Formats: sequence, C-alpha cells, structure tokens
Amino acid sequence: MDISPILNGFGVVLEPTNLLYCLVGVIIGMLIGVLPGLGPGATIAILLPITYGIDPVSAIIMLAGIFYGAQYGGTITSVLLRLPGEASSVVTVFDGFALARQGRAGTALGIAAIGSFVGGTVSIIGLTVLAPVVAGFALDFGPPEYAALGILGVLLVSAIGNGNRLKAVIAACVGLLIATVGRDTFTGAERFTFGSLNLAEGIDFIPIAMGLFGLSEILYNIEERHNQVHSPAKVGNVWPSRKDLGQAKGAIGRGSLIGFLLGVLPGGGAVLSSLAAYAVEKRRAKQPERFGRGAVEGVAAPETANNAAATSSFIPLLTLGIPANATMALIFGALLIQGIQPGPQLVTEHPDVFWGVINSMYIGNILLLIMSIPMVGVFVRILRVRPAILAPITVLITLLGAYTVRNQVYDIFLVIGFGVLGYLMKKFGFEPGPLVLAFVLGSMIESSARQSLLIFGGDPTGFLTRPISGTVLAVVVIVAAWPLIRKALPRKKPAAVPGDSDRVEEKTP
Amino acid sequence: MPRSRTIPRRVLMGVLGATAAITLTACGGVKTTSSGGGDGEYPTGNIEFSVGASAGGSTDLITRALAQGIGKELGVSTPVINKPGANGALNAKELQAAKPDGYKIAVQNASLFTITPLTVTPEEATKIEDFDVITGISRDDYVMATSAQSGYKSIDDLKKSGKTIRYGTTGVGTGAQLASALTFKSAGIESTAVPFDGGAPALTALLGNQVDVSTMQIGEGIENIKAGKLVPLAVFSAERIPYLPDVKTAKEQGYEVEVTQYRFLTAPKGTPENVKTRLLDAAKKTFATPEYKQFNEQNSLTPMEVSPDEVLKALQTDTATYKEQLNEFGISLTG
Repeated sequence: MDISPILNGFGVVLEPTNLLYCLVGVIIGMLIGVLPGLGPGATIAILLPITYGIDPVSAIIMLAGIFYGAQYGGTITSVLLRLPGEASSVVTVFDGFALARQGRAGTALGIAAIGSFVGGTVSIIGLTVLAPVVAGFALDFGPPEYAALGILGVLLVSAIGNGNRLKAVIAACVGLLIATVGRDTFTGAERFTFGSLNLAEGIDFIPIAMGLFGLSEILYNIEERHNQVHSPAKVGNVWPSRKDLGQAKGAIGRGSLIGFLLGVLPGGGAVLSSLAAYAVEKRRAKQPERFGRGAVEGVAAPETANNAAATSSFIPLLTLGIPANATMALIFGALLIQGIQPGPQLVTEHPDVFWGVINSMYIGNILLLIMSIPMVGVFVRILRVRPAILAPITVLITLLGAYTVRNQVYDIFLVIGFGVLGYLMKKFGFEPGPLVLAFVLGSMIESSARQSLLIFGGDPTGFLTRPISGTVLAVVVIVAAWPLIRKALPRKKPAAVPGDSDRVEEKTP
Repeated sequence: MPRSRTIPRRVLMGVLGATAAITLTACGGVKTTSSGGGDGEYPTGNIEFSVGASAGGSTDLITRALAQGIGKELGVSTPVINKPGANGALNAKELQAAKPDGYKIAVQNASLFTITPLTVTPEEATKIEDFDVITGISRDDYVMATSAQSGYKSIDDLKKSGKTIRYGTTGVGTGAQLASALTFKSAGIESTAVPFDGGAPALTALLGNQVDVSTMQIGEGIENIKAGKLVPLAVFSAERIPYLPDVKTAKEQGYEVEVTQYRFLTAPKGTPENVKTRLLDAAKKTFATPEYKQFNEQNSLTPMEVSPDEVLKALQTDTATYKEQLNEFGISLTG
C-alpha cells in the first residue's frame, strides 16, 4: 500500500484554512446536534451555497465536520433532557438519563465523549486501511440480509428492556404497527392514513421519539411534582472517575468494532450498531439488572458504536458512490457541485479529496474531544435550572425540532399525541424504548422481506440458503431460545447458594 | 445563592440562543412579506421556494441552484423550504392554496402529473391546471443498467437469456418503474419488479448482484458506468443523451418506450402576468450563467428551458401516451 497520498492528505488537512473549516464544521455540528429535529442534513442543505465559493477539500471537510459533530451534540440532549435526536441515540437514553437523575450526568457525558472519540478514531483507522475491502462486504448485504438483521434487532429490543418482558413485547408490537402507517411502497395502497396526505409517507422518527421520550417525561414530572417537592437534580462529579473508565473500557472497545462493521451497511447500520453494542454489554455483564438504571457501559457502548458507524458510513459514499443516508446524499450533492463524482474512481482521480476528508476526521475527532471537556461542565449545569423554567424550554425545543423536519404544523400535533401516549405508557409501566426501536426496524424488515421474496420468486427458503442471512437467522433462533437453554443448563450444576449468584451469572452468558 | 443561579441560567440562554439562531436561519422564509404582488413593484420581500422532497435529492438541488440565481437577479432572499410528503403531492397542495402573489413558488416534477395519477385515486391526483407554469427547467433521464459480470450488453441479450429478469426500480409510480415495465412487456421478457426506496438502494442492489438490472436516474449511475462496474443497456429519451453518447435509446433497439422526468417552475394559479414575467426573466438569466450550466453538467441534467406552453404540451402528451401504453400491454403499476 502506497502511503504517500495518505501523508499528503495530512498535509492538506493541516493547512490553517482547512483546520479552521474543520473547527467551524464540528462546532456547528455540535450545536445543531443539541437541537433535535434540525439534523445535520437540513443544516448542510442550508450551508450548501456557502460551499460553492470555497475549495472542494475545505468544503467537504467542513460538511463532514458538521455530520460527525452532530453525533456528539445529540448525546447531550439524550442524557440531560431525555430527547434522542436520532434513532441511533435512543439506546443512550436508557442509562444516560438514569445517570443524570443520579447526579452523574457529567460521568455519562464524559464517558460518551471519550467513547465517541475512540469509536470515531478506530473507525477512521479502519476506513484508512480497509475501505475497499469493507465496501465489498456492504454489497453482499442485499434485502434478505437486511430482513434477517432487522428481525435480530427486534429480538434484541425486547431483550434490552428492563421491566416486564411481556410489556416490552407489547410495546414493540405497537411500534411495528405504527411502522405500517403510510402508503405501501410496493403497491401504493393507503394504510392507516385516514385519507390524510400528511400520513402518506408514514410517520417520521422525530415526532415519535420527541413525544414518547421528551414530552411524556415532562407530563409525568408535572404530576409527580404535585405529590412531592421536586428538588433540582444534583450535579455531582463532572468527570468520570477511574473506576467508571475501567468499567467502560471493554464496552468502548467492542462498541468500536460493532459500530465500524455495521456502519458500513447503507440503511439502518447506525441504529442496529447502537442496539447491538448495548445488547452485547448487557449479555456480558455480571449484573445485567444494572442496565437501564445507570450503567456506565450502557452509555459507553451505544455512543461509541454510533460514532464509529457514522464514520464508517462514509465508506459506501467514497468508494461506491452510494449515499448511506440523507446527510450523505447531501455531501454527495456538495461534491457534485464541486465537480467531483464520488464513486469507485474517487481515490485515483481525486486522492487529495479522498484522503483529505478521511484525515480531517482524525483532526475533527480530536477537536471535538478537546471541546467536549469544558463543555460537559457547562451543559451539566443545565440541570441546575429549576424544572419550572427548564420544562417549558424543553417543550419548545421538542416542538420546534419536530416542526423543522418537514416544516409541517401537523408534526407538532403528532408530538403532542405521542407525548400523551408516552405518559399513559409510563403510568401503566410500559417503556417507550422498545416501541421506538421496533418502529425504526419495522419498515426495514417489511420492505426488505418483501423485496427478498420478489427476488426469490416467492420462495422463502431463499432466506436460509444464502450464507449471511442464513447465519443471522440461526443467531436469531439461538438468541430466542437462549432463556430455555439457560434454564436447562444450570440444572446440571449444584443449586446456587444465595451469595453465589453473581458467579453463576458470570458463567452462563 | 441567587448569584450561583443566574450564572447557569445565562449559560443556558447562551446555548439556547445559539441554537435558536440557527433555527431561525432555517425557518427564515416562513414569514414572507407578502404585501407586494398585484400591479405594484415585485418583488418587495423574500420569495419562498418550497420543495416536495427531502434535502439532498435532485429536485432539492435543482431548486437550490435556481433559487440562488433568481435571488441574486431580483435582489431578494430566496429561502428553500423542504416539505416532503406523498411524493410531492403534499407540497403541491399547499402551493395550490397559497396566495398567487409570486412569493411562494416551487419546482415540480413531471412524474407527479404524468405517472402518479396512474397509481392513486382520481381525487388525490395533482392536476397541472391548478398551477401556472413559469418555465421549463431541465430533463433528468433514466438509464437501465446491469452489472459488468452479467454479460448482458443490450435489451436483446436479456431476451435471449430466456430467464425471468428481476429488475430494481426507484419506487412505485416512478418513471424508472414505468420505463422498465414497458420495455420488458413490449419485448416479451418475463420479469419481476423489485421496488426500492430511491436510486441509492436500487444501485446498491445492482452492484451487489441482488437484481439483474436496475433503472435509475443517469446522475445516480454514471460514475459506476464510467468506472466499468455497470453496463448501460438503454436510455429512455427520444434521442441519445450527451452524457452517455454510446448508449442506445430503447427506440433505437426497437422498443417504443420513451419515458423522461423533467422539472419546471410553478406558481399558484392566477399569479399576475408582471410577476410571472419577472420570474421568467430572472430564471432565464440564471440559466445563462456559467455556474448554472456547470451545475447541469455535473448532475447529468439536460436543459429543457422551454416555454410554459411547451411544458403543458409535453405533460399532456406523456400522460396520454403512458396511459395508452399501460392499457395496451395490460400493465398495472401498483400490481
């Protein structure tokens, strides 16, 4: 491998103007990440005209900075206000918000920042060394593989819930049902749209997540406050302790790997990676019951994974010319405007762009980590604001965020509707997590499964005979049957003594 | 105590202020000064361009390029607002209801008027009669391609293979679906359509050999065609496309299939003549700039900067032809 273009790429990035664009990009990204709804996609669209006038490499460095900077920013609202701005940070809410309530928001944000940095950097190294190899791997994933992965995802969803397993399954089923709303993309038939054009393309993730997580929490707190005096959340340590870091170490390592691999898949990679990373940590944990109640690994794993995935999602764009998501489509558009066609020939025709972008990510990640350290302290103070002031501001952010996705007032009412639903769910002991995640995976499973059957000519055995989908489905069966297997296994061992239960737990997973 | 409380609050306000500022830029066009219009001076305020698709797609990019040029010509801001939903019908409906004063206009797709009506109920179909067309913009042609390993070079090769061809399309009710369905049916090739959600997944499936052929917009496939990973089989325009000069049209290969996507600038019905003239002039000046021409080339768009009458005629002819051909071959797009 000839490394001189890589080194030249560093030369390009370290030019002061490019460093400046990188800094501007990550700062904007971080700020818009804080506001749910106005995602990196919309921001890049707004800033696109500015990029016409500047050098292509600088433009892309800035836009890429916005993209991964937003991943950092999204964590802040997930942890502090229970507002996941993107599907890939839903999982972070479980333990992140729990930690914030215990006065350990700083720990959560600090761990997330470190995890994101490590995940991002590992992924960039992967991108530098393995991009062409992994790109081929992405192409092996056709509709059958996505369908199988989606099913595995739903199974993981029901496993990560903390309360009643049955209630988690019910919530997940409702999520799957909501995913069917909209015009059927195969026949054009209307499903649950009640003749409304607003529902023709289905419901967006943002109104659902904003309502079920953010608004419902506020509604619930209002009721709580009538019953008891609500003291503002304590803000304890602002930085994770050595013990926290030790606990999170493994989760960050595994999260990086999972995120890098799944992020390469265009379509759903980031969500699946955060989910899978969380599920893996919970399965490995000595005390899985800590998860959902403020486990440090529960924040480290998904945050590392979604950042690693965000970085590796550049692989299909830069090597195959396939934009993995809406934001990538915009970066694709920005490159086109600059006269550069992303695709298989990019690395040979424009090595300065290819390596410039990749190398700028190393720098961008370092900048983000440096900025995060003082910022954690600032953001954590948000929690000291009295709920009477913080709650209305949060509601405003929530509604504004939902509006900016499609610029439709209709979506504001959807948020309120889902807020009420989330409140009722909480009253009756249902968790919103399984619903939201199943919703995200539902449309992926349906369209992939139907595409697969069209490809197979209607023969469902095709799912089993293809190596990757077959393997994934085998894993599904094992995971589903695991509780039964586990029940069967310990019988061979002597019954666990009460004090010994930890060690038994350790052996079984 | 009070002191320690004010600090975090100020910090919070600072953070919120920054985010609010960004949001305001994002929604800057919501409040347009719509006092102008009529016979008076035009424009006196912002002109809002709404897009019936998400940011990043062809319609969005074209709108942004055009809005920038028109804004420069007329000396006003031209915010672009994305209103995706129902394949553009939601945005069309809002535009239809807007005040016809030239302060809210939109670039619309031909397929919304020519193909979508074939897949939805008559009440839901968007009609061109509800809008004033200001000018044609550009054509965005379709190409059918296969992967290099498949060995196919033309539509006839597909026919000779004698197997059922699985073809990816960019979705139900798109020109890609219509063009492929017509080709296969008129060639007598057994085939199954696999609809994907847009061009990127259709391209991915083709590169990964999940489907035998895919039909997509030229801009989506051109780089992989140039790199030799994809082999183009046919384009569906009346004449060959300058960006792919060696690729034969379906007609040249003996199949009477001509399907194109094109875009045009529209305003609500009843927009005053002077406003339309101003907009047309500004659009024409934008079309003539080297930046805009370069934009077309980079996105593989063919200029179709024609008069409103020609746009209307094209829409009518296409609608009639598509309907007739679908009936002739007994094809249902929603099958």
